Parts: sequence; C-alpha cells; structure tokens
Amino acid sequence: MKRLAAVVALLGLATTTAACSGGSTNTPGSGGGGGGGGGGLFTTIDVTRPGLEATAPANPYNPKGNSFVGYNAMRIAWVKNHLTDPNQATPGIAASWEIAPDNSSITLKLQPNAKWSDGQPVTADDVRMSIGIAYTQGSTAFSITPGAAGAAADVEVVDPQTLKITQDMANPSPKFARGVLDTTVLPAHVWSSVLPTDFWDKLKSARGEGGDAEKAREEVTALGEKVIAFAPPKDVSAGPFVLERVNPSEALLVKNKNFFNAANVAPAQVKFLNYTGNEQIWNYLTQGKLDQAGFTATPSDVMKRIEAASGNEVIRGYSPVAVGMAFNQSKKPYDNVHVRRGLAYLIDREQVTKVASPEGGTAAATTSGIHQKAAQAWIPETVPQLEPYKPDVAKAEEEFKKAGLAKKDGKWTLADGSAWKVSMHAPSGFSDWLAAQENIKSQLVTAGVDAEVVTTADYPLYLQELAAGKYDVGFWLMALGPAPYDIFQRLYGASNGWTNVGNKVSHSAAGKNGNWMGGSEEIEVGGEKVNPGELTGKLNSVGAEEAKPIMAQLALAANQDLPVIQLWDYVNTQFVNNNRFTGWPHDDELLRGGGNVLMSGVWIQQGLIKAKQ
Amino acid sequence: MSATLVPEAASASSTMRRNFWRGVWRVMRRKPSRMAGVLILIGFVLMAVVGPMLLPEHLPGDTNAITQPPSWEHWFGTDPQGRDVLSLVISGSRYVLLTAAVTALITVVVGTGIGLFSGFKRGRWDTVLMRVTDMKLTIPGLPLLLVLATVWQFGSPLQMGLVLGLLGWGGVARAVRSQTLSLRERGFIEAARGLGLSTTHIIGRELLPSMAPYIAMNMLISVTGAVYAQVGLFFLGVLPYESDNWGVMLNLAVFQAGAMITPSALGYLLAPLLAILLLTLGIVLVVDAMDEIFNPRLREE
Amino acid sequence: MTLITRRLAGHLARGLVMILVVATITFFIVNNIPGDPMAARYEKLIEGGMSPEAAKQAVKVLYGFQPDGSMWQQYTDYLSGLFRLDLGVSVTRPGTPVLEVLGEAAKWTVLPVLAGTLLSFLVGIILGVFAAIKRTGKLGDALAISGSLLHGIPQYVLAMLLVVIFATLIPILPADGSVDILFEPGFNAGYLGSLAEHAVLPVLTYALSAYGGWILAMKSSVVTVLGDDFILAAELRGVKRSIVFRYIARNAILPLFTLLALSLGLLLGGAVFIEKIFNYPGLGWLLIGSVQDRDYALMSGAFLLITAATIVANIVADLFYTVIDPRVRGGEGAS
Repeated sequence: MKRLAAVVALLGLATTTAACSGGSTNTPGSGGGGGGGGGGLFTTIDVTRPGLEATAPANPYNPKGNSFVGYNAMRIAWVKNHLTDPNQATPGIAASWEIAPDNSSITLKLQPNAKWSDGQPVTADDVRMSIGIAYTQGSTAFSITPGAAGAAADVEVVDPQTLKITQDMANPSPKFARGVLDTTVLPAHVWSSVLPTDFWDKLKSARGEGGDAEKAREEVTALGEKVIAFAPPKDVSAGPFVLERVNPSEALLVKNKNFFNAANVAPAQVKFLNYTGNEQIWNYLTQGKLDQAGFTATPSDVMKRIEAASGNEVIRGYSPVAVGMAFNQSKKPYDNVHVRRGLAYLIDREQVTKVASPEGGTAAATTSGIHQKAAQAWIPETVPQLEPYKPDVAKAEEEFKKAGLAKKDGKWTLADGSAWKVSMHAPSGFSDWLAAQENIKSQLVTAGVDAEVVTTADYPLYLQELAAGKYDVGFWLMALGPAPYDIFQRLYGASNGWTNVGNKVSHSAAGKNGNWMGGSEEIEVGGEKVNPGELTGKLNSVGAEEAKPIMAQLALAANQDLPVIQLWDYVNTQFVNNNRFTGWPHDDELLRGGGNVLMSGVWIQQGLIKAKQ
Repeated sequence: MSATLVPEAASASSTMRRNFWRGVWRVMRRKPSRMAGVLILIGFVLMAVVGPMLLPEHLPGDTNAITQPPSWEHWFGTDPQGRDVLSLVISGSRYVLLTAAVTALITVVVGTGIGLFSGFKRGRWDTVLMRVTDMKLTIPGLPLLLVLATVWQFGSPLQMGLVLGLLGWGGVARAVRSQTLSLRERGFIEAARGLGLSTTHIIGRELLPSMAPYIAMNMLISVTGAVYAQVGLFFLGVLPYESDNWGVMLNLAVFQAGAMITPSALGYLLAPLLAILLLTLGIVLVVDAMDEIFNPRLREE
Repeated sequence: MTLITRRLAGHLARGLVMILVVATITFFIVNNIPGDPMAARYEKLIEGGMSPEAAKQAVKVLYGFQPDGSMWQQYTDYLSGLFRLDLGVSVTRPGTPVLEVLGEAAKWTVLPVLAGTLLSFLVGIILGVFAAIKRTGKLGDALAISGSLLHGIPQYVLAMLLVVIFATLIPILPADGSVDILFEPGFNAGYLGSLAEHAVLPVLTYALSAYGGWILAMKSSVVTVLGDDFILAAELRGVKRSIVFRYIARNAILPLFTLLALSLGLLLGGAVFIEKIFNYPGLGWLLIGSVQDRDYALMSGAFLLITAATIVANIVADLFYTVIDPRVRGGEGAS
C-alpha cells in the first residue's frame, strides 16, 4: 500500500511541477508586453478567417495568408457600410479623393508620408501595380469580365502622389468608387516580379473582344494563381504593423516604425489568436484575454460570463446581414404561397431569436428582404404597408386551408392526404441556425405541423446540396447591404434563377444553373405583374434616388411572395476590453467596415485607440 | 493497445460446458462488483428499450428555461432548447444500443466466419485472409471513419452499425483463428474426424460452443470501441444528426452551449459523459469476470 | 543477422504495398467527396462585405488549384507525385505544398504523444508489477479494475473532464493552443516553459488513457513470467529475492517494448479527439479541419501520413519482436 501511495504521489508531483513551470512563465507571458500600462500588447482575433496557418505567406490574396487587413495589409481606403451611400470611406493609403459627380472617375491623393516598413516610400506606381494585381483576382472595379458593370477603363498616374481612375461608362455602376477604394496596396519593389512586363498591354487586349481577348483573359486569370501562391521573403507592410512570426496557435505583429501615423499607434505589438470554432472565442473572452473581437454568435449564458469579465464591454451596432428560412419552391407544398404565408404566421420570430441569437440578432420586423434598419433609411413609406406576419394561429390555419391542406387528428397533411413534414437543414457548427431550427421545429410540432431538423456535416457540403435542390427548407443569409443590388440579389439572383452577366439579366428554369429556390419568374405585387429578377438587375446600375422606388417594389414582392421567411436581422456585436486600451468607437459606420476588413486595425491606425494610462 | 484476449488453452468443451454456469456463479459471487457490472449493463439495455416509450416523441422544450443548471426538476439541467437533459440521455441510449447490436452481429458473423475458415483451411487462404485482417487492424480506424464520413453520411443507426461492424471484425477473426489453430494442434479436430463426425458437426457442436465465450469477450471489446467511435464521430460533428444522441449532446454542449465556459451548461456536458463512464464501468466489470472465467491462468484456484 | 535483414525487406515491401493500397483507396474516396469548398468561400466573402461579382471572380481563381483531367490521368499524376513526396496543393492553403503543412502539424503531434506514452509506460509498468504480485489482494484488484476502466474510457471523455476541471472550474492550465508567440522560439526558458505549460493537459490525457493499458499488459506479462520454471526452481532453492525480481522484471518488460512501438503508431491516429478538444495544432486537428473544409489534398495527405506512421510502427514492433524473442529468431536456441 505504501509503495502505491508513493507512486501516486510521484505521478502527482510530476503533474504539479509541470503545472508550476507553466504558471511561472504565464506571468511574463501576459505581462511581458506591459499589458497593464502604456501601449504594450494588443490581443485580438481575425474574425473573418478562422484558423491560422503557420506555413502561409504574408500575402493578402492568399486565403490563409498571414496578412491581416487593417494591420499589416493596407487598402487605398476603408469603405464603410453606410446605410445608403456605398462610396463612403475612411482614408487609408489615400489621404483624400475626389469622385466625379457622374461617377465617371475618381482621383486619389496618397498620404504624403506613407512609407513601407523597409523605409521605401509608397508611390502611385505601387498603387498602379496593386491595381494590376487586383485585376488578376477580379474585383468590382478591376474586372476583365466583358461588360462587367462598374469596371475601370483606365488607370493613370498623374504624379507620384496622384492617380486618376476612370470608369467604363458603357456600363456604369454607382458603386464604382467603392470598388476602387477597396483595393489592397502592395509594394512594387517586392511584388513586381509577379506581373509580366507586358501585363498592361495584355490587360488592354483582354478588355476587347474576340479570340485574342479571350486568350488574354485566360492569361490574366492564370496570373491569379501565381499571385495567390506568391510568398514574399519577408513581410513588407505599409500598415501600422508588420508580421514578426507565426505559430499554428498565434501570430505576432510588431509596430511598423515607418507607418505614416506611427506616432499615434498605441500598441507596440499585436497578437492574433487562432480559433476554429466560436467556443474558443468565448473562452478567450471570458478570460479577458482579448482586447477586441468582432461579431461572434454567442448564447446568452456565455454572454453574461463575458460581460462579467474584468474590463469587458459589448458594443452593439448595425450589421447589414439577415437570415431567412428559404424554401425550395420546386418541392410540394412549398410551391404554394399560402403554405409559405401560413408558416410565416405560425413561427414566432421573437421566440426563435431569443433561443438562437439573443445577443446577435433582432427578430425581423417582417419579411422585406432588407435589414429593418436599412429599410427605414431606404423606403420608410413602404415599411408600414408590409404585412408584419405577427404570430397568429387562426390566420395560419386559414392560409393552410386556402392551400388545400387538411388537418387530421390535429396534424396537418398535404392536399392528397399524405403526411407533411417540414424538413429543415443547417450545417453543423452553425450553432445559432441549429438552435433556431430546433425551436421552429418545436413551434411547428405544437401547432400540428410535423417537422425535423437535419444537419449537414459542414458548410461546403450544405451549400452544394442546397444548390442542388436536395433540401426542402434551409437557412440563407440575405439582405447583404449596403448596395441595393447586393441586398436583393440574395432573393432574386442566381439562387432564384436570374443570372446577371454584364447587366443583362436572364432567367433559368428551376433546378438549372443553380436555381434552387425555383420561384416563379413573374409575381403579382398589388395586382401588378413584376419580374423581380429584372428589377434587381436594374439596381446594379441606377443611382440612389432611382433605386428607392424599385426597392419598395421588391420589398413588397418579397413580403407577399415570401421566397424566404426573414427570421432575424443580425446585430453587429463587438467585444472590447477597457483594461489595457481605451477609445473604442461606438459609431455604427466605424464598427463594421465593408470588404472583410478588421476594423480594429483601422481604428488603431487612425489613432482612435489609446493605451490606458 | 487493444490487445485481443486470446485464451491460453481450451479444455475439452463438453466438461467445460457442464461446469460453465457453476463457474460463472462462483466467479460472480466472489466479487459483488461483477454483479454490479451485470446490473449496469442490464440497466442500460432496459433504458434503451423501455425508456423512449415512456417519453413523448418530441421532448417538450421550455424557452424560458434554456440551458439551466441541474435542479430537482431537471437532474442534469436543460439543453439550449429548454429540454430535460436526462430525458435526452435516455432517449439517446436507444441509438447507442441499436448501433451496438448491429455492430455486434456483423462483428461476430464476419469475424467468426473468417477466423474459422482461415484456421480450418490454413495454407494460402489463411495467409491471404490474415494479411487482409492485419491490414485492417493497421489502418487507423478513426481517421478512416472521418475520411469515409465525407463520402457517405452514415448517420442512421443501421448504417452506422454496418460501417463499424465491417471495420471492427479484425479482432474477433484473429481470436477465432488462433483458437481454431490451437484446437487443431491438439489433435482435437483429427480426433473428431476419426469418430466420423462431419465438419458442420465439429464446427457447430464442438468448436463454436467452446469458443463462444472468447467470441463474446472479443465482441464486447470491439463493440465498446465501436460505441465510443460512434459517439466520438457525432461529437466531432462530421455526420448529420438528431438532437437526442449522446455524441451530438457532447457536440452541442461544447460548441453551442459553451459548456467548457459556463457552469450552467455543465450538466448538459456531464450527463452523456457520465452515461459513457457508467457504461464503461459496467463493461469493464463484466469483461473482468469473463476474463477470469475463461482464462485459466488468472483463475486463482 | 541475415534473417533480420530478410524480414526487414519483406516488411518494407509489404508496407509499401499497403501504403499504395491506402493511397488508392483515399484517392478514390477523395474523388467522390461531395461538397463545394469554393461555394463556402464565396459565401464567406460576400458575408464579409465583398460584392457578389468580385467574390465570384476571386473564387474562380482558386479553382485553378484543383487538378483536372480524366480520373485515370489524375490517379497516375497523384501516384507519381507521391513517389516524389509531392502530395499536391491544398485548396484552402493554395501555394503551400501539402507536405509542408503536414510537416508543421506532425511536429505538434509527435511531441506530446511521445511524452504522454513514455510517462504512461513508466507508471504503468511499475503499477503493473504490483498488480501482478498482489493479484489476489484488494490492492491488485483495485489496480486491475482502475487499469481496465482508464483503458476503457474513451480519450475524449477524459480530455473533456480534464478541461472542465483544470481549465473551467479551477482555471490553472491552458486548454488552448501550442505555445505563446511572444517567446522567441529556441532553447530559452520562456519558450520551453510555455511549450510545457500548453502541453500539460494533452500529455496528461495521453498518459491517463494509456497507462491503464500498460498496467493490464504488464500484469499479464508478469503473471506469465511468474509461472516459469525458473521462478519455481529459484524459490525452492532460496535464490535471493532481488535476483528473482530482476529476472521477472527483465523478462516481463521485454515483450512490452513491442507494444510500445505499436501504441506510438496508433496514438498518432488517435490524436484526433485530444487535439480537437485542446485545440492542439497537430495532425489529427489538421485532419478534422480538412474534412470540415472539404480540402481534398490535405485530407488525403494527413490520412496517408497517419497510416504510414502506423505501418512503420508495426514494422518496428515486429523487428523488435524478432530481436528479443529467441523462438522467432529461429534455430539459434534459447540461451
């Protein structure tokens, strides 16, 4: 017995010594950067990309690249998610710009003191080369797709500090300036080898027509692969930070002394923590480890723990995203609008939101295809006209009866008497969607509609099976603003049959070319037949004022036809910690930038964030 | 490390059969813990068979009591839908038992068949079959399951049992083969042949009964592994699922309810974990008893 | 010695055949995998605020990284690549060879697996001797049962319990990540300390889940040795207890080294759960990630590497067995 005890004690000792040695390094670890005092270490996560990759290059175009937009990757400017104006932005490498009144051109003035981290100045030639690289990847403004709306026609270096980019007015877009500003800037002295010397000639012919143009386009696209795989020998950044080193769990960035606003950049170091699931972010937050984290779906219990941690603060703002329960109208009985309306009356969206996304969402006021905040800004007169679909069992039964459904033994059956089961799909790992579907299921079951929730292993598979028309009902992100076309193309775009090539809209039948929603090509809105896909296509080229009546029409169409039941509008829930840094913005447009930008990096480079004294 | 338990020797089967139940009783009586093991297993079977009948088809949820800590009303708290966790564990045990049964069936039929054939025929067939078995035992099971799950979403209990059974017969096949060979070496089969008994008779009446306990034991071990693999796969979330499944509960507890962070969700995590622990304990105690009954080396007489 | 070389050659040949078979199976599984990694990336991009056209274009470029050509063409390309140790390019990590990604991950698997296995081996064999000697007493019984129980508990149950205890209820140990990036990698106290700190829980899980097995194996091995004639004779002749003990220990441990090699191979594959739960960036973690991203090249690469490791472990175990077991060595007679 004694010997056993000794062995057990020995084992215990081994563990505790390991724990102790861990404990002692822990202190310099978290305090090493002078966490408490003036501007040491700033800890955050890259909320747009889960999973750090230690072997990936510092290349902003590489999907796993160790290039963090806003930190060590710079753009011409940081576009905002303004409710109605897509061309608003915060200065980046460009200190200022002028947009021609007819959107035909934009003239950029670069930051006079902008320098790369190796001391070389940032010039208009760097920006021009960056635009060339953007062409190989395809972007809104720099596209070689023939007839693409809002594409640039010419890039002209006026002087080392100035560039003028003109839009191809054959097919203009109101978002042209946004597309230009949202371009990553790369150092020509590091990257120029990626583009061949005759690149700009190739580009010119690629923008033409005929066989030569086709060949040139292929060559440019092939360059895209080269760009993605390019690994600069070391990170050369024009941003406030530069990459120091990465391991699979963390990435370390240090301050770029040559950054034009370096004097106002508070943190000396930035640490990005790895995560693959939301639960890891919750964990970091409850430990108070993160100085800032972007939107993360969080259950309310966990949210309480996060808010209770010392220094933590939750900032809530606008997020132009909503989620809807989308129907495959090729499947019975969802082809019948009364069934969809009946379901809309049955589902209590407040309850769904409370269970699924209490902190990250607001129950949708109704189905309009637009985020409720954006709807108030764009079409305030139309909003009261929309049917709110308040939970109402009587109305639901009325609609079901109109659709020919019958209730037998307290259970709704299809018109032909066969069983009806609402089969909902969601990808596993989307915790809020799954919770929502489970809740909808129990709501429906209570009301006598049989239902089930089926998970799909992962998002790629989910999207493929959804697009292949395998699901009856699935969840679908919608209302992706701020541009009106982007908002409505989620409902009346490719997934519902309308493809838009060079602003020419064509319709494919249900089940073809990715049309899985299978709605009718024309629907009746207030006694008038409209083609919602063509209306949506128009939004791609008209200005704000012209867009409003079209949006009103589309909102009414979505509201009456219900291709989806809008469930909740996301709230941009940001987490910040006030123990080490202060000065967090609370302004909506600063909270959430467009274009996969880490806004905390933008705040830091603007000098908004101050080290706590 | 899952060494298959190959018994050292098999005494003549007939005498053993006679003394078998007496031996079982003696071994059981000597250590009450083994009795407890049997009781635990019976309890699980009952829970899986009867439990779901006592519960409504759709467990009622209460949106005002989401992810509650354990209380008198809900012994293990509630899940993020406000459902009683204990009821979820009970209704989830049916899936576990069903897959276990399918796996057991396939493991025994395929494993015994291949083991007997291999041991009986010897020669080239034996070499080929054992190479295949070796290979199956060498390919790491869980990674293979993960890769397989990407092509085939074997989520239903029957499909799951099929996959796990087809991947799990290696241990039983090996044990049966070595048993057959050892009986052969002792001239057991030749003697039976000499008495004019047919091959079917030798296998059915003489070989199988004396081997049954080892088959059962090895089966129990591979089925245990299969149950764990199954729960694990669901925990990793690579298969489509229903919410009353132990693995899914673990998955949701960690990835949806934040059980590693909030104590209020701990019950949701611990309930399936404790169920697995208890099941393990039951199986370990039963295997321990079997081991002593069948392995003369460990018999302390 | 020639016998051992011949055996080694045979093993290697068979190992190669097996790797080829596994590679073929994975190739065809992977080629039939449904799911569109590009669609997922597209959704992510527009969700993040990219316009639909730009996202479509960005995704189109990525398609260039996927192999094309007929199935047979792809298969032969894959195999010939395999011989050059070229496992292709991953879709989610374009531009980085799969082998490099795997190499980085393998580092993080091998270290804790080795540490955990050796720790459990040492503790397990010591306790196993006690369990065997006292096998009729309460202590031996308790050891055997606890061994079986720990051996039987799935690793993920142990891992989750450890996280709950040491990271949630009494938060003294990290359950996340591999090493603090602030420390310069190398032989300095800070880096090594941080490394150790992060490895404690994974290593502890490996050790706890494995040492039960060692107790059982050692116990049965010792019981076998105890039955040897030598012991009987020695006891009759009154040979010193320490000599008897040394004899027991030596002869009982030797066969366990075979198992040790085997278990190292198996653990590489079993690391999936532990690495997932502790977010430890090893091979298993990579495999599950690649399955969820539908990253074909990475998935087949990780699976192949894990299988190859198991095969090598098997060969090593068998050779070891050949060296230590006089019967297998053949004809040389027991000395």
